[in-house]
Amino acid sequence: MAAAGIVAAGIGVAGLLLTHHGTPGERPTGLVAALPVPTGTIAAPPEPSVTRQVAEPVSLTIPVIAVRTQLVHLGLTATGALQVPPTTAVAGWYTGSSRPGAIGPAIIDGHIDSYQGPGIFFRLVELRPGDRVYIRRADGTLVVFRVVKVQTYLKDHFPTEAVYGPTPDAELRLITCGGAFDSATGHYLSNVVVYAIQAT
Amino acid sequence: MKTMRETRRKLRMVAASAMCLGIALTGTALAGSVLAGNASASPTSNDGWIRLAHLSPNTPAVDVYLYAFGNSDAFQVLKHVSYGTVSAYEPLAAGDYSVAMRGAGAAASSPAVLSADVDIQAGHAYTVAGMGPESGLRLAVLDDQLTTPPGQALVRVIQASLKQNMVNVSFAGQTLANGLKFGSVSSYATVSPGAGDVTVSYSGDAPVTDSVSLAADTVHTLVVLDGTNGLEVVDLVDAAGNSAVPTGGVATGFGGTAPHGPPSAVPWLVMMAAGGVLAASAGLWLRRLPRLGT
Repeated sequence: MAAAGIVAAGIGVAGLLLTHHGTPGERPTGLVAALPVPTGTIAAPPEPSVTRQVAEPVSLTIPVIAVRTQLVHLGLTATGALQVPPTTAVAGWYTGSSRPGAIGPAIIDGHIDSYQGPGIFFRLVELRPGDRVYIRRADGTLVVFRVVKVQTYLKDHFPTEAVYGPTPDAELRLITCGGAFDSATGHYLSNVVVYAIQAT
Repeated sequence: MKTMRETRRKLRMVAASAMCLGIALTGTALAGSVLAGNASASPTSNDGWIRLAHLSPNTPAVDVYLYAFGNSDAFQVLKHVSYGTVSAYEPLAAGDYSVAMRGAGAAASSPAVLSADVDIQAGHAYTVAGMGPESGLRLAVLDDQLTTPPGQALVRVIQASLKQNMVNVSFAGQTLANGLKFGSVSSYATVSPGAGDVTVSYSGDAPVTDSVSLAADTVHTLVVLDGTNGLEVVDLVDAAGNSAVPTGGVATGFGGTAPHGPPSAVPWLVMMAAGGVLAASAGLWLRRLPRLGT
């Protein structure tokens, strides 16, 4: 009977631990080594009178949450929604938005998770104002962005203007899912949006 | 006899450790289910944007000071801003600010040559420009458009030439400003996107042309300036938006890391409770066993 009790308790603990994964949002201290800061020629913010086209973005690095990914190209779906990357291991840049480092908001999205576990933007919600985001462009230059705010919105009340609306400076929006997960539909109910502006 | 005593002692030890384990594990499970929950973002204040410009041809270079309203210490100073300079936009938290201009190199404590208050609203952009002749210098606070009709461009003209009192400005044959006086700003014109010539005509010499490219969903300000060799036109991109704005939210998740709600935790907790009860019962049962020897 004692043995049965021990076994039952053991199964209970194992089951609980296996079904409760790491929770997004709490930044672990010292558990995950941050990535090194990328190096290279850092692009200055765009001058208003210069209309020369900047190079396209090719990769994204966020050292403080250990994110490093190529950037695939994204468009809109048949219903006009933002496309998402074909795998959960990469992020993508919406080609209908500004190029990072040019005037206007550059839009990048990525998956928070797959069916099995964390995706490329699992830790996005850990970002805080002041954190740096680095984007490498096709010409080798580096665009550095500074996070100014992180917001969670219900998809039913998505603030299109705030996220996609025009800006007079070079800005960045990083988008992933968050909030509660609806098992019935297989979708998260919210989006997490990180707002960042080009660092001077 | 000795074997049975040994067995019972071992059983008691195992039961006791099972009890301890059961208690420890139950505690861990309770802590685990409490930790599960959703992260919340921390909203900060919304931003507007401001840029500063020196558009008075016969006024020497100035230092431009930016104050949060009511503060006597400027949080930003642009030094030696000369005629024709337009800074890039800077995001600022919505609220009241003051802009002051002093002669370049003048002490921060000296009286300002010009000052103006700016109420920055969230999502709005402003140009604060020193305009007019030096004798009638003033600080104008312009409300800047950011949003265009979908697929179109918006263009306005600032006439900052002292030598030519009135100018006519057109782009690819479309009139942008007619008889625009020195020191004034035209209203925005909606323009079909494309590359073409901006033509500035005035009484006297041949018109001045400048080739510009107006992309869809961009807002431009054309500034007419006194250059070293006559009139000059500078094309400023004020804002850029998305060519096609996505609708709704973004489907970027499959649920593999979603915390399961309380209903999912219950079966595991029940199992642990049952395990704990069994272990406790085993302990109690052991105590009821008759003690044989020591």
